[in-house]
Amino acid sequence: MSTPIVTTEHLSKWYGQVSGLNDVSVNVPPGITGLLGPNGAGKSTFLKLITGQLKPSKGKVTVLGEPIWDNPDAYFKIGFCPEQDAFYERMTGLAWVTALVRLNGYDEAEAVAAAEKAIAAVDLLEAKDKKIGAYSKGMRQRIKMAQALVHDPGLLILDEPLTGMDPLMRRRTIKLIKDWAKQGKSIIVSSHILHEVESMTSNILLINNGRILAEGNVHQIRDLIDTHPHTVFVRADQPRAFARHCLAFDDVLSLRFEAGAVVVQTGKPDAFYARVTSLAATDEVGPIHEVTSPDDNLQAVFQYLVK
Amino acid sequence: MTSAPANVPAVAPPSLPVGRRSPSLWVAAVRIFDLSLARMLWSRGTIFMALLVGLPVVLAVLVRAVQAIGGPAMRVDGQMVTGPTIFGFMVWWLYLRFIVPVLALYYGTALVADEVEDKTITYLFTRPIPRGAVLLGKFLAYFVCTVMVVLPSLMIVYFLMGLSGATLAGTFPSLLKDLGLIVLGLLAYGGLFAWVGAQFKRPLVIGLMFVFGFEQAALIIPGSLRYLTVSFYLQSIVPHAVMGEGVMSLLQSLVEQKASLGTALGMLVAIGVAFVYLAMRVIARREYVLEQ
Repeated sequence: MSTPIVTTEHLSKWYGQVSGLNDVSVNVPPGITGLLGPNGAGKSTFLKLITGQLKPSKGKVTVLGEPIWDNPDAYFKIGFCPEQDAFYERMTGLAWVTALVRLNGYDEAEAVAAAEKAIAAVDLLEAKDKKIGAYSKGMRQRIKMAQALVHDPGLLILDEPLTGMDPLMRRRTIKLIKDWAKQGKSIIVSSHILHEVESMTSNILLINNGRILAEGNVHQIRDLIDTHPHTVFVRADQPRAFARHCLAFDDVLSLRFEAGAVVVQTGKPDAFYARVTSLAATDEVGPIHEVTSPDDNLQAVFQYLVK
Repeated sequence: MTSAPANVPAVAPPSLPVGRRSPSLWVAAVRIFDLSLARMLWSRGTIFMALLVGLPVVLAVLVRAVQAIGGPAMRVDGQMVTGPTIFGFMVWWLYLRFIVPVLALYYGTALVADEVEDKTITYLFTRPIPRGAVLLGKFLAYFVCTVMVVLPSLMIVYFLMGLSGATLAGTFPSLLKDLGLIVLGLLAYGGLFAWVGAQFKRPLVIGLMFVFGFEQAALIIPGSLRYLTVSFYLQSIVPHAVMGEGVMSLLQSLVEQKASLGTALGMLVAIGVAFVYLAMRVIARREYVLEQ
């Protein structure tokens, strides 16, 4: 077996009396690993521990063979894309990524060149001189990814990276993540959407209530989720036109409208997501801004798993 | 929908230059300073800062206007109070006892707290730099930012009030001392409140109690408590007679003590440097749990 990129031994984290992570021992192999769990499952706590932002209450973490807490040099090899939508809003994307990579020891010229390459890698070059405050949600996600990969780390840790992206960008980002893995990078990506993770990797860590419930192949979980209706939230300019399209599909079990959006229940999530992406590409139903899956899908699966 | 060209190929991320090393504490701090200065100047506190430093300017303009239209002269104990005397009063009571500590409190306690509140601290703490460099860089930004706004305010007030009836050459040394005092005050209070902000959960309350409670009381209580204040060392070297009011002033004059110039200067610098160092140590060990 190849050397694990992240190793935890009896790792626990408490926030006062509240347990964030409970006795987790895991070896994360190289390649892409999906960290899957509903909100509040402990995904972010796990990622903060393996990125050295939190100190373990108990247990050990090593990342790429080194302890991570209080070890700034380790950040040469790690790039982290956090979940929160937080930025220096008045800076341009290029200025922000440049300023951050200068903290990696790059001089000004190197930093600008590296920042431009990273911004190009996330297809944001045309907007590099716009202020981040003027970016759309998808662009903000991408600039966040650019700052994570700007120093060419061997390990990328991405916390819910596809949140807020439109279907096309989501597909391109997934391809990008897979390309980085092909170039030899290891990637840990968290999500609460099984189908997102599945499209990137079959290697998952399933987490709930601060514990790793399962690790390894995604297919068993996938079989389970497919037996249950899956809810998808689609925000579009023309929700009614989109809904009309959906009515023609056998797998659509129900539809309801929310402000500027349609909430669809489907029995075949894979087929549904593929169709939404195709529809977005053809522009037949106008722009589709956001496709998200509420937590309750995965929560339902976890309820079955822990029974 | 977010648009992006569909056929843009994925570009390989940049290669890591061989031999890359962590920037030193100082270099990292300077880079954090670069990142923070503009953000600090144009932050939520900008209006607050402008109001604070604008207040003495407005007061000086009003006094000058009253004098210009032949209004009644200010008198204390039958003696006419001149512009330079009012200027000296403003330097001590308005700048050194109010504006400097309040600005230091507002910005000093928020050095890292602002990044935590805005959830941008993650980007700084996941870079290969010592965490202390984040605080040091932000402290430098605070220091430059406040010096850049307070000193011009003091100089305007000086030209409006302090110069009347005297030559620039004659009073310039005194102005330089005032400017130096402001800088030392911003350094000492800023360092102290940077540590308070890093160490305690309610830094504003603690800071307000220190400046407007403890320091006020310590200066009038006989004994050595005053040595634990910043204002004692500032008061020891303020070039103007510290004019006060009523009972407070009377008590102060009864127990008046001063540190020597060297001691006062040394202590002000030491307070600033020591507390910034302590704050850096706190930041290096502390976990920040961002609210989800």
